[in-house]
Amino acid sequence: MSSQVERATKWMYGGVWGILTQWFRVPDHPPTLPATPGEQIRSFRPSEGFLRYLKLQFWLTFLIFDALILIAWSAVTAALPIIGLWFAPLALTLGIVPGAVAYLAINLRYDTTWYVLSQRSLRIRSGIWVIHEATITFENIQNVTVESGPIERWFGIGNVIVDTAGGGEGGKSSHGKSLPNFHRGEIAGISNAAEIRQLILSRLLLSKSVGLGDETYTASRGWPAEHAAVLREIRDAIRNNIVTE
Amino acid sequence: MTDFDPGRIERPDSSLLKYYVIMSVLTGPGFFILILPLFFKYETLRYRFDDEGMSMSWGVLYRREVHLTYRRIQDIHLTRNIIQRWFGLATVTIQTASGSSGPEMSIEGILEAEPLRDFLYVKMRGAREHHESDSGAQPPQDEALTLLREIRDLLRSRT
Repeated sequence: MSSQVERATKWMYGGVWGILTQWFRVPDHPPTLPATPGEQIRSFRPSEGFLRYLKLQFWLTFLIFDALILIAWSAVTAALPIIGLWFAPLALTLGIVPGAVAYLAINLRYDTTWYVLSQRSLRIRSGIWVIHEATITFENIQNVTVESGPIERWFGIGNVIVDTAGGGEGGKSSHGKSLPNFHRGEIAGISNAAEIRQLILSRLLLSKSVGLGDETYTASRGWPAEHAAVLREIRDAIRNNIVTE
Repeated sequence: MTDFDPGRIERPDSSLLKYYVIMSVLTGPGFFILILPLFFKYETLRYRFDDEGMSMSWGVLYRREVHLTYRRIQDIHLTRNIIQRWFGLATVTIQTASGSSGPEMSIEGILEAEPLRDFLYVKMRGAREHHESDSGAQPPQDEALTLLREIRDLLRSRT
């Protein structure tokens, strides 16, 4: 029985996914990065734990929401039984439909999120209605943060956040619409957060640039070889001078 | 992708106007307020891509021109909402390290958005190694070196 239900939901989900890719032009393949020959490209999704974490969140809000509806409906039915009966289908739809839509959205969100790492940059794709792809080169990353809450740790997942130079918080546009922070990339819900952080940091150290503006770090080079050679000759000339006097 | 030449892009595609019309219709009564500025933005929007950087300009009464060089690009974002996907359009937003958290430039109405993004990616900061910094092969002919040589020769002649 339960396997039949499982198969039916899988089939329905496949149908929704088909509609999304065909009619709503949701790309069904992971994003790529232009690679130089020999460059390794790694693309991955959030871990399974992230999906379980999202589902736990969903069930908690769903239970609270439905409990509230049930309490409200029982109060109305207790006071006026006829009106309560009339409202029963409405309460039932309110209790089920938003939950089903949210549950579907969680699965779709998980399936449309992709992270791609190449030797020099990372690309993050997310979203269903509005598909957003961010590309950041490691050279431009200013700092890397790893965050995880207690429940996330229980599921064994963490979030790696990379920041580039520039504006801090996600601001508001002139129309009062809140904008995402464009100077940030979030690799959310991965089980190997520490490894990815280490990978990004090691790539960051590989770059010779010191930061903004200074493209190469020239100060450490010191005197060129020609200058040093002539200076050595001067020292020897003075030494000979002292000896001969 | 190899025959993609961004220098050809000067005007947004005509489907951008259709997209603007649909977006204004979706706001309901806001249609008449929104469609005029969007129409004029579409009519006056110009792009220019050259070897070093790019610029875009728009506006009738209040004109606006944005210029930036490829090497200062920090992040490239490609955003497509559902209506844009139907038209094959996309918005490529480009960030530099300036203080604003919003995008410095958002390129709308390009049908070849993905090749454009990859073109910009190859040119942006950090996408390639800096080779020019290691090219100190020829001996430096600077003032300090000639001065040092003169001091050396003077010292030698005294002995």
